[in-house]
Amino acid sequence: MKKVNALILTGFGLNCDNETAHVFELAGARSHKIHINALVSGKIKLADFHILAFGGGFSWGDDHGAGVIQALKLKDHIGRDLLNFVSQGKLIIGICNGFQALVNLGLLPGFDSDYTKRSVSITFNDCGNFRDQWVHLAANTQSPCVFTKNIDIADYPVRHGEGKVIAGQKVIDTLLANNQVVFRYADIQGIPAKGAFPLNPNGSMEDIAGICDPTGRIFGLMPHPEAYNHFTNHPDWTRKAQLLKRKGKTPGQEMTIGVKLFKNGVDYIKDSFF
Amino acid sequence: MIFCIEIALKKELRDAEGTSLIKKADSYFGINIQEARCINIVTIESDLDHSQLEVVKDEILTNPVTQVSSLKPLDIGFHWCIWIGFRPGVKDNPGATAMEAVTDHLGKTFGPDEGIYTSKRYCLKGDTLVRKDVEKLASELLSNSIIQQFKVFSIDEWDKDIGADVKPAKVILDHAPCFEVISIESDEQLAKISDERNLALNPRDIPVIREYFLDSKVIESREKMGLAEPTDLELEFISQARSDHCNHNTFQGIFRYKDASKNEEVVENSLFKTYIQDPTLKLKEKKEWVVSVLWDNAGVGRFDDENNYVVTGETHNSPSNMEAYGGAITGIVGVYRDPMGTGLGSKLFMGSFGYCVGDVNYNGPLKPPLHPRRLLDGVIEGVKDGGNKSGVPTTFGQTLFNPGYMGKSLVFVTALGIMPNQIKGRPSHEKKTSPGELIIMSGGRVGKDGIHGVTASSESYSENTPAGHVQIGDPYTQKKMHDFLLICRDEGLIPFITDNGGGGLSSSIGESAMISNGCVVWLDKVPLKYEGLDMWEIWISESQERMTIAVKPENLDRFMELSAEHEVESTVIGEYTDTGKLHIKYKDETCAYVDMDLLDKGFPSWEFDAIWLSPETRGLTEPVISSPSDFNKLLLSMLERPNLSSKEWILRQYDHEVQGGSVIKPMVGVKYNIPSDASVTRPVLASPKGLAFSQSLLPWYSKIDAYHMMTCTIDEAVRRLMAVGGNFNHIGGLDNFCWPNIGFDPNKNPDGTFKAAQLVRACRALKEACEKYEIPLLSGKDSMYVDGHLVGEFGERVKVSALETVQFSGTSVIDDISKCVTMDPKVSGDFVYVLGVTANELGASEYYDAFDKTGLNVPHVDFDKFKVVYKALQTAIENELVASCHAVARGGLGTHLSYMTMAGGLGMEVNLSDLPIDTSRGELLNETLLFSESAGRFIVSVSSENKNFFEKLFKGMPAGCVGFVTDLHDHLKVSGLHREVLIDLSMEELEKAFNKTFGDMI
Repeated sequence: MKKVNALILTGFGLNCDNETAHVFELAGARSHKIHINALVSGKIKLADFHILAFGGGFSWGDDHGAGVIQALKLKDHIGRDLLNFVSQGKLIIGICNGFQALVNLGLLPGFDSDYTKRSVSITFNDCGNFRDQWVHLAANTQSPCVFTKNIDIADYPVRHGEGKVIAGQKVIDTLLANNQVVFRYADIQGIPAKGAFPLNPNGSMEDIAGICDPTGRIFGLMPHPEAYNHFTNHPDWTRKAQLLKRKGKTPGQEMTIGVKLFKNGVDYIKDSFF
Repeated sequence: MIFCIEIALKKELRDAEGTSLIKKADSYFGINIQEARCINIVTIESDLDHSQLEVVKDEILTNPVTQVSSLKPLDIGFHWCIWIGFRPGVKDNPGATAMEAVTDHLGKTFGPDEGIYTSKRYCLKGDTLVRKDVEKLASELLSNSIIQQFKVFSIDEWDKDIGADVKPAKVILDHAPCFEVISIESDEQLAKISDERNLALNPRDIPVIREYFLDSKVIESREKMGLAEPTDLELEFISQARSDHCNHNTFQGIFRYKDASKNEEVVENSLFKTYIQDPTLKLKEKKEWVVSVLWDNAGVGRFDDENNYVVTGETHNSPSNMEAYGGAITGIVGVYRDPMGTGLGSKLFMGSFGYCVGDVNYNGPLKPPLHPRRLLDGVIEGVKDGGNKSGVPTTFGQTLFNPGYMGKSLVFVTALGIMPNQIKGRPSHEKKTSPGELIIMSGGRVGKDGIHGVTASSESYSENTPAGHVQIGDPYTQKKMHDFLLICRDEGLIPFITDNGGGGLSSSIGESAMISNGCVVWLDKVPLKYEGLDMWEIWISESQERMTIAVKPENLDRFMELSAEHEVESTVIGEYTDTGKLHIKYKDETCAYVDMDLLDKGFPSWEFDAIWLSPETRGLTEPVISSPSDFNKLLLSMLERPNLSSKEWILRQYDHEVQGGSVIKPMVGVKYNIPSDASVTRPVLASPKGLAFSQSLLPWYSKIDAYHMMTCTIDEAVRRLMAVGGNFNHIGGLDNFCWPNIGFDPNKNPDGTFKAAQLVRACRALKEACEKYEIPLLSGKDSMYVDGHLVGEFGERVKVSALETVQFSGTSVIDDISKCVTMDPKVSGDFVYVLGVTANELGASEYYDAFDKTGLNVPHVDFDKFKVVYKALQTAIENELVASCHAVARGGLGTHLSYMTMAGGLGMEVNLSDLPIDTSRGELLNETLLFSESAGRFIVSVSSENKNFFEKLFKGMPAGCVGFVTDLHDHLKVSGLHREVLIDLSMEELEKAFNKTFGDMI
């Protein structure tokens, strides 16, 4: 049986590589944690993988803009490999610091097949501080994003000081029109937050929490789906488990919506490449 | 050439930093700013040409979507402009990453005279702003003169072409490195030199030091190396090793303890040995899960069949009191090196914090180095950057307020790691150095920073305290090193590793070379931040983010290859030997040559008189306060008290779930805003096991008796673990003592003997608690000088001492995390129980504190009785009989019933007349039942289905069914001893009070 190979970047202050690797394994992939310099030196070839994950963390300490130096380094050293990876129809996911890197690389929003133009920025939260909180997300079911197939709502944690998605109005309008806005911050019913804090934790325009490129194969989001890899990660789990037990049911039987997001990606590769 | 690049947000975008400045200026100082914009300045000193500078500006430093930038000062309007920059030699993290980016992007290497430096300026608009206000903002909000400098410009003083005229903040020492020989003709002379050079040698050590260097054999062997009298480096080495911080002289000291009321007079020969080491070693024999204790950088316990966990805790009080951000970030990043340097190295998986500060609204005459409000802001931010950027979740933390901490506030930081129990078939908790192995220093470089930090933290704060030891931690550099070292560990390249913290190389090499019994160190190989350091400075510098590692010569190439791939600087700086000598060279010259066993040469123990005066002898009594008539108002005012109110704003700033293993978060409940009893984390994601972690701080009880402070603190930490589903058979302890000076001096410290007696009593309580609850002390530290001498109104200095404080941390391994319990009542109709007995124990309670009273009846812990209940609770939780569970702590039942009501979002109705009580310590009135802080108690909710099983399990124990959970309303309703309605408050009213004090902070 062929395995889907997921490459998770490590090094230079990235820090979500272990749980991202774990969740890809739960989703049926084989995870490979690879130091950025192993790609830079050519010791490891990006072409040998199906999914590339830009994980969370503080690459280069977030100095000079979150994800900026990481993007520059990858563009300088493996920019062409990245574009080839994209053109082969493979998948890229960027989470938190990874999302910040994707917009700085220009892989997102990727309008008109231009994967080098920086037109979206992710900047300091309106509240002026780093925040760790769980958010409700409404998924755009019209979006081409392969990771959110059959997902309509999801709860994940956000953990960032720079998560406010901003862009020129034209760019925002195009993102909306192309259904490239994948996740929006919402209330518990899935109705967008309309900027209301703390439902929208950072003041993102149009409550944007995640966007994809027009093909749906490159996806970036601020919340952390990999942090919902087990049912006990959810802040309501003890209450939900107690209610289930009263009904004679065992909690934790279903795949979390966090793992499901990665499984969508892994399944897509299996369908398209194997 | 020197160039400045200015970068700012586009003017139509919100400037979050500016907005925050406007808010703080108003709320802290009542200064009204209408508009504030922040400009980042990057100063480059190099030979880059114009086109290269444009590339750096546009491609590295400017975000085209959000920012504008220029090689000339940006034209942003203001009435006043404040420029803030680092002082030379202060760690400039963004400057260093900019150099890294320029090096990579342009392929440029920076020479010794080149560099990149960052600074900021703030453009302020406000019609009413005057220079005095602006200077106040610059000096008391935006910068700290210890690490930063500022300039203030009015618009008339501003030159649009020159701007802030920023110069590179580089260190130029212009000094040829050398070492000095110190004359030791007499004790007096050496004492004088010790004072002059800030060596902080204990006068009692001086004769021993002289005797060693005057020994004929020593003289003979030193002659061969060209040495006679001791060098400055050698004396610095001895001073570091003998400091209280490194050597724990207080806990190893002799205490003559007297208790007149009991006619007791005993000599305690070593508090450490008697009360910490002996009980822990006995428990280690008994508890197979205890792997390694009392010798390494952290203790080690078994997590599962394949992994061990590592735990340690530190304080970083003195530096944080002078530069709160720098002190705190250095503290958390520093404590994170301890697990990295335990055994063969562990991976960090969680951390925690504890802050004890003065009144944040203090407006009296005393002038602490930093106002408590500013200090707390800085400390919070330091741990935020240090913890978050290390990629380690901060899963627990407490903040408390007491005027005594204005003298010196406390910053506790705790670190936990996980490691496979075997590395290449060898136990991972064992490590040693062997002759022939190379000494490698990895991580950061060495500068003047941190010199004499250890000796300064062994002294009270005074006007002479050197400020130079305040540093800024660099979590980015350390995270790279952390990842790199774990790979080396797994490849079996590391036989020994330890961190460089207090004492720098002097401690790390000095201690590790004792194992191989010797070393030779080549100080000239140590990479420096800048030239011009003397040998002794290189040897004792506490520059951060460094580890000392032993590597076998045959593994050096692979080690260096991995080091290069991870972009971590590693350098061979010496070799372990078995010569019995610490031999330090600089190029061809020997600058130290002493025996490895020099420190065992009979240095005298410290001695203390400890005179205990019982609370009764001191005249403490219960206060006379009649029963209140308005319990609703009383409870709300309790919830508004800083020590009981919400501190959500602090916990939210900390990433508490990175690494994906969060099970019980620092806050729980329907609105995720109530502090939980303990945190639970899965350090091994594929395992169903979890690690529960709790901490407790109850320093107020020391006002009556530090013995009971200690027992209550430990009991609360244990209770918190039990409340989430902890395993009573596996509780690891960590004690962090913070004590005011105990050395008696009739003028400077007249109550020193009493404080020494308090310490003895706390240690006795520690032993009793650990034996009764079977808690091995996996790790522990002490910080012994938490006093300050604060300038008052008339130029006098007033000594302010902190309460005798112990932070106790507990760890427990939970087999099945799916059985963990949170404190929120979950289902209407469930019954509410209180486990444990409520007695008249309001002494030093939050309730008495509300009336400025202390009282006498401090809570007592009855370990034997309590543990029966704790074990039954464990059985109840393991059998899933409990829907919610909460440990009653500071503020008593009234406060904690309120927390539960808010956490559940459901109504609770409770009768105080059904509580299990004990009247042996006095009458129990409604206010006693509501606010007594009796230990050993829980509030539990149980379904009607499980009621019978639950009651059977607790038969014969104090367990009262006191009420029920309801969804008919969301009120907390409490009826009193005569079933009269005492309290009827809605969730909204409770929350309003709970959030009143700090609720608007983000």
